[in-house]
Amino acid sequence: MGDIISFAYQYADSFALLALSSIGLVIIFGMMGVINMAHGEFMMIGAFGASFGFQWGLPLSLAIVTGVFAATAIGLLLERLVIRKLYGRLLYSLVATWGISLVLSQGALVLIGPSVPSLPNPFGTVSVGGMNFSVYRLFLVALAIALIVTLWALMRFTNFGLHARATMTEPDMAEALGVRTTRIYMVTFGLGAALAGFAGAIFGLSAQIQPTFGAAYTPIAFIVVVVAGSRNIIAGLLASALVLALVKTSFTVGFNILTGYVAMLVTALIIIRLSPTGILDLIGKLKALASQHRSSTAGTSAEETKNA
Amino acid sequence: MRELLNGRIEPGKGPVFWIVGALLVIGMLFLPGLVGRYTLLNFNSFLLMVFLATGLALLWGFCGVLSLGQSAFFGIGGYAYGIVAINLADSPWASLAGVAGGIVAAVVFAALLGWLTFYGHLRGVYVSIVTLVVTLVIESFLNQTAGPQWKIGTAHLGGNNGLGRFSGAAENIPSLTIPTGGGNSLVISGSSPTFYYVLIGLIVFTYLLLRALVNSRFGVALAAVREDPDRAETLGYDIRLLQSMTFCIGAALAAMSGLLYVAWGNFITPSVFGVTANVLPVIWVAVAGRKSLAAAILGAVVLQWGAQQLAISGGEWALIVQGALLVLVVLLLPEGLLSLRQQYSRMRDVRSSSLKSQSRQG
Repeated sequence: MGDIISFAYQYADSFALLALSSIGLVIIFGMMGVINMAHGEFMMIGAFGASFGFQWGLPLSLAIVTGVFAATAIGLLLERLVIRKLYGRLLYSLVATWGISLVLSQGALVLIGPSVPSLPNPFGTVSVGGMNFSVYRLFLVALAIALIVTLWALMRFTNFGLHARATMTEPDMAEALGVRTTRIYMVTFGLGAALAGFAGAIFGLSAQIQPTFGAAYTPIAFIVVVVAGSRNIIAGLLASALVLALVKTSFTVGFNILTGYVAMLVTALIIIRLSPTGILDLIGKLKALASQHRSSTAGTSAEETKNA
Repeated sequence: MRELLNGRIEPGKGPVFWIVGALLVIGMLFLPGLVGRYTLLNFNSFLLMVFLATGLALLWGFCGVLSLGQSAFFGIGGYAYGIVAINLADSPWASLAGVAGGIVAAVVFAALLGWLTFYGHLRGVYVSIVTLVVTLVIESFLNQTAGPQWKIGTAHLGGNNGLGRFSGAAENIPSLTIPTGGGNSLVISGSSPTFYYVLIGLIVFTYLLLRALVNSRFGVALAAVREDPDRAETLGYDIRLLQSMTFCIGAALAAMSGLLYVAWGNFITPSVFGVTANVLPVIWVAVAGRKSLAAAILGAVVLQWGAQQLAISGGEWALIVQGALLVLVVLLLPEGLLSLRQQYSRMRDVRSSSLKSQSRQG
């Protein structure tokens, strides 16, 4: 029993890590097709901003908001100056954002220094049935779920969400019908940067805040994004993070952390090898296979009704 | 043969191009007599990266595949050279076997990765991301191989200290060694003029070979894949095979740089797989102009030299300047500095044709 609870705890923890570190990237990629190589640096800016806010004497929650604002401001600025000029040229935007990531991380090192004071972690531990759980980790899980639900509601019920979904599926038609697609792109990029900054500030509660802070999360976020695909951002993100976290946790528990990481990558490669457009299409294919199998084993009666 | 060298894909033809090129190579031959051993050591390290740069230009500029995993092949080539050469340390053939081992290991890995990506119908940014992530995973794998159980034959992988005696290991990675018969052999150290001449010779040979390759029917097919993969496929080209083959050639070139790097410095660490090591070749090729092999060669050498000068005077600003340069080039000159020349000649054409039409009217 204890093993099961411990596994569930670790599973939820890695799910939260994958979902939080990739949510900003998933939105930008899903909406605009742009792979933002500076994603990790937006996270770094969020953590730096929160650290500065806290040093100015702001309460922790407002310090985190400061970090989010900093990341959003830089994201919007870059969208206007660089990304906007490269719409539709995805490889160029990838290369340009890579240059930006180099400038941001090295710039932080030169201008601010190798590290900034860390943030206090206000969470303690709870003990349930003789096992200790970090409240911070549980908070991350709750936060990941809350963010995904909020994002879903935003896309489903607001005017912005409607326009965003229209822009995502048929940009030309959306524009012809009066949706200001460039504004949608700008807001999307800003939202992605804000979520990256938020994740960075939250992760900054338990990590040393350095200019290379984001670099560790970037490859993980990329793996989640390519597996999530761009058909349905929220369902894709959820499925991708759930499956990859399961693989990662199983192999981490069975072997070690590195094996968990490599197994996660190999799983991602297998998923996109089977279904280049992401995990949702793979699930769709499997469902189709299963129903085919069921109808063929169910005998010829179904076939006959169909023919009739 | 003439056709292959003066073809339509690789820019730069006519007597002026060839004479300037030949003069440049001949001029380079005098360098070891003019500079000290330390400068030559540095210069050798710039020149050996040329293969990595041409491999990336071939993939990105000629085939339209932006691989961000070239440093994976660089590292695999380097590690394989080190492992093979350490294990055969007593034989005079150790380093040449290492060269073969490095290239074979990289090509086999590239074929596997190519099967996973291109035959998995991945395209565009997906290929870039998969290659980048694979590279970073290799880095994190090698970083934790510090324990004594991580060894291949007699070569300890050494974790983030890497391979070779400089990293504190007992084994030394041999320099390039060529058996000259009768039990003698020629050892070519990284700071020697011989290493420099070998590099110049290899670069000229590789350039001419790749030039012939991209100007051949194969190269024309690659250009078709780059411009429009779907149309190329409809016209009967096996685009996955073409992309995978180019990927393997690019990997062999990157491995060449990697193993020369190890033969040059006698050590290698997992940092060659890192993000910074990965972005630098992209900067050289993007800034100089990815659609020309000659531009990639010049870009690699000149930008490395410039970055080193910057690092000497400006310390940590060198990477910022290079990153900013990359962003500016993508925004202002998407085809790199090479496109300045094309714009100039287009302007000249327009002017001369308008002059002609004026004279006709007059």
